[in-house]
Amino acid sequence: MTPPTLGNTTPGRELKRRFLWLGLAMVAGLGLISIQLYRLQITRGEEYAAKSVANFVKEVRLRADRGVIKDARGTILVDSRPSFDAFITPAFCTDCYEQVIPRLAELLQWDPDQRKKVEDMVRMGRRNAPFQPVPVRVDLSRDEYDRLAARRDILDGVEVAPVPHRHYRTNSVLSHVLGYMNEITQEELERLNGDGARYALGDYIGRRGLERYFEQRLRGTDGVRKEVVNARGQTIEELNDKLGDNAVVSPRPGSNLVLSIDMRLQEEAERAFPGVTGAVVAIDVNTGFIRALVSRPGFDPNLLTGRVTPAQMALLSRDPLDPMINRVAAEHYSPGSTFKVVTALAAFKSGAFRPETVVNCPGGYRLGARTWRCHKDAGHGLMDGFTAMKSSCDTWYYKVADTIGLDPIGEMGKALGLGSPTGVNVVAEVPGIMPTSAYHDKASPGGYTKGMALNSSIGQGDNNVTPLQLALLYAAIANGGTLYKPQMVNRLEDLDGQTIESFQPEVVRKVDLSPAHLKAVVDSLVVVAHEPGGTAYRARMNHMRDKDILVASKTGTAQVTRLGAIRLKTHQMSYFERDHAWYAGFAPADKPELAIVVLNEHGGHGGSDAAPTAMAVFQKYFDLKKLDATAPPPRPNQPYTPSSVTRAPSPDEAALTRRVRPPARLPGDEEDRTRATAD
Amino acid sequence: MQLRIERRMVPHIPWGLIFSVLAVCGLGIWNLASASRPPHSPVWGSQMGYLGISMVAVLVVCLVDYRWIQRMALPIYVGNILLLIALRFFGHTAKGAESWFVIGPFRMQPAEFMKIGVVLMLAKVYHDDFQPNAPSYSLTRLWKPVLVVFVPFALVLVQPDLGTALMIGLSSLTIILFGKVRWYLVATLVAGVFAAGIVIWNDYIRDVPEPRPTIVRHHLKKHQSQRISGWLDPEADLRGSGYHAAQSKIAVGSGGVSGKGWREGTQTGLRFLPEQHTDFIFSVWAEEHGFVMCIVLLVLYGAIFIFGLGVGFNARDRFGAFVAVGVVAMLFWQVFENIGMVIGLLPVTGITLPLMSYGGSSLLSVMLSIGLLVNISMRRHMF
Repeated sequence: MTPPTLGNTTPGRELKRRFLWLGLAMVAGLGLISIQLYRLQITRGEEYAAKSVANFVKEVRLRADRGVIKDARGTILVDSRPSFDAFITPAFCTDCYEQVIPRLAELLQWDPDQRKKVEDMVRMGRRNAPFQPVPVRVDLSRDEYDRLAARRDILDGVEVAPVPHRHYRTNSVLSHVLGYMNEITQEELERLNGDGARYALGDYIGRRGLERYFEQRLRGTDGVRKEVVNARGQTIEELNDKLGDNAVVSPRPGSNLVLSIDMRLQEEAERAFPGVTGAVVAIDVNTGFIRALVSRPGFDPNLLTGRVTPAQMALLSRDPLDPMINRVAAEHYSPGSTFKVVTALAAFKSGAFRPETVVNCPGGYRLGARTWRCHKDAGHGLMDGFTAMKSSCDTWYYKVADTIGLDPIGEMGKALGLGSPTGVNVVAEVPGIMPTSAYHDKASPGGYTKGMALNSSIGQGDNNVTPLQLALLYAAIANGGTLYKPQMVNRLEDLDGQTIESFQPEVVRKVDLSPAHLKAVVDSLVVVAHEPGGTAYRARMNHMRDKDILVASKTGTAQVTRLGAIRLKTHQMSYFERDHAWYAGFAPADKPELAIVVLNEHGGHGGSDAAPTAMAVFQKYFDLKKLDATAPPPRPNQPYTPSSVTRAPSPDEAALTRRVRPPARLPGDEEDRTRATAD
Repeated sequence: MQLRIERRMVPHIPWGLIFSVLAVCGLGIWNLASASRPPHSPVWGSQMGYLGISMVAVLVVCLVDYRWIQRMALPIYVGNILLLIALRFFGHTAKGAESWFVIGPFRMQPAEFMKIGVVLMLAKVYHDDFQPNAPSYSLTRLWKPVLVVFVPFALVLVQPDLGTALMIGLSSLTIILFGKVRWYLVATLVAGVFAAGIVIWNDYIRDVPEPRPTIVRHHLKKHQSQRISGWLDPEADLRGSGYHAAQSKIAVGSGGVSGKGWREGTQTGLRFLPEQHTDFIFSVWAEEHGFVMCIVLLVLYGAIFIFGLGVGFNARDRFGAFVAVGVVAMLFWQVFENIGMVIGLLPVTGITLPLMSYGGSSLLSVMLSIGLLVNISMRRHMF
C-alpha cells in the first residue's frame, strides 16, 4: 500500500470550507421548515384544528315530524307516509357534473330542463353548504329506488333516504282548506331564515290554506345529529366519541291541527252538491266554526306536493274553471234573492215598511222611463213582506229601494259583514262589494242613480258577496244579530293529544237589530220552505225526512248575463251564461244551530239546483247529532278513507274539459244587464 | 471484491450517524403503524421486512472496500441507465408514470437506484478530473459532469417522474457547485432562480384583469399549471388541484403543539389525505405528534446531514468526499422538498420522505447510500 500523495487523494483544505457552508445551508433549510411549521401549528393551530373538525363532522338534520291534520272527531285527514328521496351531498360528489348527474339523469329519465335544475341546485349547495344534502328527486317510485340502489357504487355523493312525504287522504276534497306543500324558494329561504327559522334548500313549505297559515306550528323544530365522516362522506360509527356530548339534539314534532269540520258532514255535502263548480259552506251559527266546506272543482294536493310536472301545472292554471280558486271565500258573486233578507231588515228598520205592508206586483216596477221586471212576467199580485219573501217577488223590494234609497240597505249589509273581509285568514278571501251611493259616485260613470238601488235590493248589480259572508250573515240573523269570525280550527294538540292551544269563538260585532224585525224575517224564511208555493218547499219536502225541524230558507237565482227579450231556458244557454243557483238558510228556525249556503255556479235555479243540497246536509247534520248522542265517541287518529260515494261526472263537466268559452257580449241596454229573476 | 472488517476500521464507525438513522427508521415504522391503521392493510409490517433486507444490504456495502465501488461506478451507472431504458419497454404503468418493474410479488423503482448511480459517477468524475492548481470549473470543463447528470435526468423526466428527476437534478447541482464553478455560472444560476420567481409572480400571483399576459403558463399542461396555482393558493380550489395541499396543511396545522395522539389523527384516520403513508407521511406525524415532535424529527434529520457531511469532511480522498456530499445532498433535498410540500412551502411533487415513507425501493436506496457513508467513514485511515 503506497502512501497517498497529498492533493490527489485527500480532499484538501479548500474542500473543508465548503463542507462548512454546505452544512450551514442545510441547517438554514431545516430552519425555514421549522419557521413554517411554527406558523402552521402554533400561530394558526386553532384555526386549522377547527378546519379539521369541520372536515369530518357532518351535521345530519333530524327532521321534525310535521303535525297531522284531523277533523273534529280526530279522523286523520293529512299525515305523512314514508317515501324515498334521492339526495346529492355536493361536498362528496366528485365529478358531479360530468359523471354523477348524467348517470342519475339516465336512471331517473330526466329531461334536459330537470337536469339543468339539479345541476344549478348542486352548484348552489356547493357554494353555500357543501355538506348539506340537496334533494334531487322526491318520492322515488319502487322502480327508481331499485335502479338507484343497484348502481350506488358509481353514484358518488348520492344517497337515498327515507323521508316522510305529505299524504292528503281526502284527495281533492277540502283541498283549498288543507292546502299543499312545495319547495321553498331561495328568496323565502333567505327571508324566513333571517327571521330566525331554520329552513334548508329543498325543504317543503306549506302553500295555501292550513298548511300555509299554520306552517310554523305544524313544522316543529328540527334536531341535529353529528356524525363522523371520512373523506368520501362515509359515516364512521366507531369514531363518534370524538363528537363530545351534544352530538344529538332531538327534533320536536309539530303540533297537530284539529279542525271544526266533521268529515261525515263534509262527505254528505260533497255527495249532495250536484254542481260542476260552486261552493257549499255549513257553519255553526252560535260560534262561527265551519262544519263543512266544499269548493268545486278542487285539485289534488298530493299531486301538487312533489311530483307535479310542468305540463300538469299548466293544465291546472289554464283550466277555465279555475280549480285553484277557493270559491267559498276567494271569489264573489251576485247574491241574487238571498240578499233580500238584508233589504227586508233595512226596510223594517227604516220604519217606512212593516211586514204587513202590501205592494202590488204587476210583473214589474216602473221607475222613470224604465221598467224593472219581476221574475214572474205575469206578476204576483198583492204582496206583503211574508209572501214577497215566500215567492221571492222582486217588486216588493224594488218598492223598498225606491222608497228608502240605497244607503240604508248598504248600511244594513255592511253591518252584517258584507263588503269587508270576514277575517277568516286561514284561506285567502276577497271582501266582496256592498254598494252604497258613495260607492257608485266613485265607481260608476255618471254616479249614483236610483236604478242602482233597485238592482242592489235584489242582490244584483254591483252587489257581490262570497258564500262565506252570506253564511255568516244568515248565522247572524239566526242567532239574533251576532256576527262571528269564521274559524275552522278547533285546537292545536301535541303528539299525545294534549291541547296546546284551543280557539274560542270570536265575535266581530253585535248588530243592533230589533227582535221583532228579526222574527218577521225568520218567520218569512220559514214560510219559504214550509208552505206550498215557497221557493224551497219542494226541496224541503223531498230531501228532509225530519218534518218537525223548521228550516229557515231563502233561494236565489242570480243572473250572470243580461236578459234577452225572450227568456231562455237553462239548457238553451251556454254554460258560462247560465244563472247561479243560490241557497241560504239555517235550522232549526226556532233554536238555530247550523247555517248553510249553497252556490251552484251556473247551476240553474236556486229552488231546484241548490236547495236540495242544503236540505240533505241539514238532514245529515241532525242524523249525526242523534247518532253521536247515543253512540260512543270514535277512536281518535283513525286514518280517513273516502267512503264510496263518488259522483259520476256530469255531461257538463265533460263539456267543460273541452274548453267552453264565455260567449261574446251581446248588444243591449247597460242597465238591463243587471236585471234579476228569482224563483 | 472482498468482504472483511479490520480492527482499525472499528473506531471509525460513525455511531452518531447510525443512531440517527435507526432512530428515524424506528419513528418511521411507528408512524406507519398509525398511518396504516385498520381498515388499511398494516403496511408497517412489510416496512419492517424491507428494513431488515436494507440492513443486510447496508452491511454488505459497508464491508466492501469503497475503492472497489469506485472502480465499479461506471458499470453501476451504465447498468442503471440500461434499466431505465428497459423500463420504456417492460415497465409497469402506475399513476400515469412508467416507473416500476414488476417481478413476481416485487415491485422495483429503478429511478431510486439511479440516484445513487449518478452520485457515484459524479464523484468518480470529480475524483479523476482533479487538477491541483487548476482554476474552478468553467462552462467548457463542465461537459463531463453535465453529461453524467443529463442522461439519467432526461430518462427519468420522460417517465414522467418529475419529482425524482428534480431530485437527481438538485443533488447533482449541489455536487457541481460543491466542486466549485466559475463565478459567472453562479451568477447565471442566481439570475435564473430570480427570473423563475418573476415568471411565477407574473403568471400566477400578480393581480391583473383577465386575460393576464402570461410568459410560460400557456405552455404548461393543465395539470402542471394547476399544481403551481394549487401550491400558491390551495384554498382556491379545495376539491380540485388544491385538495392535497389544503388538506395536508389542515392536518399539519391541526396538530398544534402536542398533536392529537398516536392513531388519533382525524385527517389520517378518515383518509382526507391521499398518499398518506407515502408522500404525505409527514402530515400524519405532524398531526398526531405536534410541533415539538416535528422539531425532534427535524433535528434527527439535521443530525444525519451533519454526521454525513462530517464523514465527507474526514474522508480519505476526493471520491469519498464527493460521494458523501452527493448522498447528503440527495437526502437533504428529498427531506426539504417533501416536508416543504406537506406544509405548503413548495408545490406538490411525488417525492417520498427518506426513512419515513412506506416503500421498499425508497428505503433500500436511502439505506444503501447511508451504507456508503458508513463505508467511507470506516475506511478513512486505511490507505
